[in-house]
Parts: sequence; structure tokens; C-alpha cells
Amino acid sequence: MEDDALDPKKGSWDQEALSRRKLLEAGFWVLAGAGGIATAGVATRFLVGDSLEPKEQKWVEVGPVADLEPGKVHRITYAVKSKDAWRNVNREGVIYALTEDGTSFTIFDATCTHLACSVHWEEDKNHFACPCHAGIFSREGEVLDGPPPRPLVKLETKLEDGILKALV
Amino acid sequence: MPESAQSKTKVSRLSTWLEDRTGLVSSVRGFLNYPVPVYVHKNLLYTLGGLTAITFILQIVTGVLLVYYYDPSSTEAYNSVDYITYQVPLGWLVRGVHHYGSSAMVILAALHMLRTYFMSTYKKPRELNWLTGVFLLLLVFAFGFTGYLLPWDQKGYWATKVGTEIAASVPFIGPQIMQLMRGGAELGQATLTRFYASHVMLLPALMIVFILAHILQLRRHGNAPPITEGAKKNANKFVPFFPHWVVTDTFFGLALLALLVYLSWTRGAPLEFPADPTSSDYVPRPEWYFLFLFQALKYFPGPLEPIASVFIPLLIFAAMIALPFLDRSEERRPWKKPITSGIAIVLTGIIILLTILAW
Repeated sequence: MEDDALDPKKGSWDQEALSRRKLLEAGFWVLAGAGGIATAGVATRFLVGDSLEPKEQKWVEVGPVADLEPGKVHRITYAVKSKDAWRNVNREGVIYALTEDGTSFTIFDATCTHLACSVHWEEDKNHFACPCHAGIFSREGEVLDGPPPRPLVKLETKLEDGILKALV
Repeated sequence: MPESAQSKTKVSRLSTWLEDRTGLVSSVRGFLNYPVPVYVHKNLLYTLGGLTAITFILQIVTGVLLVYYYDPSSTEAYNSVDYITYQVPLGWLVRGVHHYGSSAMVILAALHMLRTYFMSTYKKPRELNWLTGVFLLLLVFAFGFTGYLLPWDQKGYWATKVGTEIAASVPFIGPQIMQLMRGGAELGQATLTRFYASHVMLLPALMIVFILAHILQLRRHGNAPPITEGAKKNANKFVPFFPHWVVTDTFFGLALLALLVYLSWTRGAPLEFPADPTSSDYVPRPEWYFLFLFQALKYFPGPLEPIASVFIPLLIFAAMIALPFLDRSEERRPWKKPITSGIAIVLTGIIILLTILAW
């Protein structure tokens, strides 16, 4: 940067100091750059926090196997104790459980694979429908119509003492 | 045309385009090229103002970061601060720099004000610069007072309870002032929300306005003429604000940041047990910069309490406001002004003594 002219009545630039301008400018950019980069690094790590960690998975009870009537789609809501950052919360959600023979079980996460609305089961049409953008899934979770790019997510299951559990 | 000359031309064309439309380039250039007297540049006491501003910027940066995690509810505030301190990566550092930065701001602002006082630079035509400075110091204390309630730990809760109770000792309207501060009769969620809103919205906005006014006043009247014979020899020599002064402030700013990081690393920002309104053996103590007031209250028991809690602070504040209008002599050398210098030395000594006694 050039130096603006000073009013002679006011005084004059210190020419000896001005000769160090380039050096001081470089010094400023080195110091400010180092401080800025260090601060930005800390800020970025702080803000990212654990937001990129995968969702914590937990087993939830779907219910006694005896209660799951074969051939029917059962809508089940669950609430599982969970840590939401600094809060202890009940993480709530909806799953669909079905069995054709009473021995093997399929459990779908109700979350639509399009934009994460919650699908509902339409018994008369024998399909799952998403209320948001008209996505349609078959009884097996396959996409029949609409924008969803993938089938409904099948959850891992296990049986313990006659109780069906799902990993949510 | 060589490549570097071409890119220079591009920069110059962009700069001309921006200048034509906004006038910003010449404004920034004027701001950066502002002539700083050599006697000011060579005196490190003049870095105190810039350092206070740098600390404020640090407080803004760390404060904005903290808001990303802080939960201003009386049930969750403590948990969120605990989470910031012990769970969030580098949370201890961000909170530590914010915590110790608040103390640095009090110290730097007070030293900056003492430097201004002893050099009598509050005199005509710089009265408004002094007055904005007085309000800025008050704002720094208000930041401190509203800030340490936010973790909702024992210290914040009880110190605020006592602090707002002190406001109730103001004659006639005290109880109303206390309830306005608390947002109700009791210290609770309404208090926390009020303090939080003040701390992150109102006070920063006021601070920015007053800092701008403070700097604009400085730019309008320039630095006060020198008072020592040595400085007078360089009175008509100037260096540009950028890079000469800025690089000094940046250097000391980074050194200060390093100190705050060190304190955060070695001591950490304190977090006591969660606020417990039922505890009856907790001894509330304010932050160190309010300890002088805490100690002074001990010497004015019972009905005399408002003298220490209200009248003396108000008197000091009124004296600071009136100072540039009372002290109108031409003399600015502190060693030739025994009364004003003496008052400041005695008052500063009393504040330091009371702080040490209460420590």
C-alpha cells in the first residue's frame, strides 16, 4: 500500500520506519495467518464435535413372538433410553414387524428411504405408502412406485426367551 | 505482459470497480494509513486499548462457538457446559479461553483506563472518548456478571442470588430492580434466559456500538499530544497504523492468546457442582473482579450496606462521568497533578487491597 501524503502542518512520515514497511507487512501476515489458521482449526474440530459419528444402535423389544399373528403387518412404536448430546432422552421410532410362518420374522424401519418421512401400512392395498412424496413399497419392502431410491431398511432381529428384538 | 503484471492489473481493476461502487477501498485505505505519532507507537502502554479490542474479538469467537452447544435451560445448562468441557473435542480449550479471556478483558480495560487517566487524555476535546470508555468498562463488568451464571453451577447460582439481592438494597426501588433482573421474585429459568439474552445479544451489540464510537472519536481527534520532553521531540513524526501499529498489537495479541491457552491447559475453566437451591453450607464468592465489592460489604453491616453496595459505586461512576468536565486545567503531566493522581492511586490501592483481603 502506498502512503498517503500528510498535511505538512501536521508533520511528516518517519522515513526510517517506512523503510521497514515490507518487512512489517510480511510479519503481520505471518502472525495473523498463524493465529487465524490455529483458531480456525480449533473452531472446526470443536464445531464438528461428534456430529459425524454413526447413530448409536440399541436392541429394542418388539414383543412376544406369540403376539405376532402370521400374515399380518404389525405397527410397533418403541422408545429407547438414549443419550442425545448432553440430554438423556427416550429415542422414539416406528417399526413394522411381519411373519408369514411364525418362525421367521422381518422387521422394517418405517423411515422412507427417499427423504426420511415415516411410511404407513395400507392393508387394503397391501403396500407401504409414504405420505410425503407418494413413495410406495411392497409388503417385502421393495420400491413399487414414486421417488424412493432403495427398499425399506430391514432391521437385524433376534429372539430371546420368546421375545422378538430389533436393532434400531 | 508478464503474468505477475497481468494479475496485478486484474486486482487493480477489481479494486477500481469496488471503489466506484462502494467507496470501500479508499475508506479502508484511509483507515489503515492513519498516521500514528511515533511517540505513541514506541510506548507499549498504548497497546492496551488494541489488546482489549483483540480480547473482545477472542471473546466473540469463543462465545459464538460455545453457543453452538450451550443449552440455556435451568435443567440442562449445567449438563451442556459439562458436555462442552469434557466431551466436545477441544471444548476445554474454547471454554477455557473464554473464561480466562473475560478476566484478561477486565485487567486490560482497567489498565487502559488508568493509562488514559494518568495521562489526562480525557480532557477537551476527548471527553466523549473517555465517556464511551467508561461505559465500555461497565459493559465489561456486565459481561462478567451475566456470564458466570450461565453454567448454572453452585458458584454462578449463589453469586447471582447474592448479586441480585444487593440490587435490592437500593433505597425505595431496590426490590423492583432485583425482580426485573431476575425476571421474577425467585432466581430461576427466567433469570437464566434474561442473563443469557443479555450476555449473547444485548451486551455484544452495545459493546460493538460503543467500541465503534470509541475508535471513531480517537480517529477524529487523534492521539493526545505528548507530555514528556522525550516524546515531544518526535511529536511531528508519524508511522502508518498498518502495518506498524497493527503488527505490534497482533504480536501481543498472539502472546495473550498463548497465555490464555496455557491457563486453559494447566488450570481449566472451573465448573463447580450443579446449582443446588437447597444447599445451606455453600459460601458464595463472586469472580475475582467483584471481590473488592464483596469485601467492602463486610465493613458496612446491616442498614449501612447500601453505602458499599450502591452509593460508593455510584459515586465512583458519577465521578468518572464528571471527570473531564471537572478537571479542565491544561496540565496533563501526572506528577504535576497530585490531587487527581493521588485519588486514582489511593482508589486503585483500596480496590487491590480489598481484593487481596477477600482472596
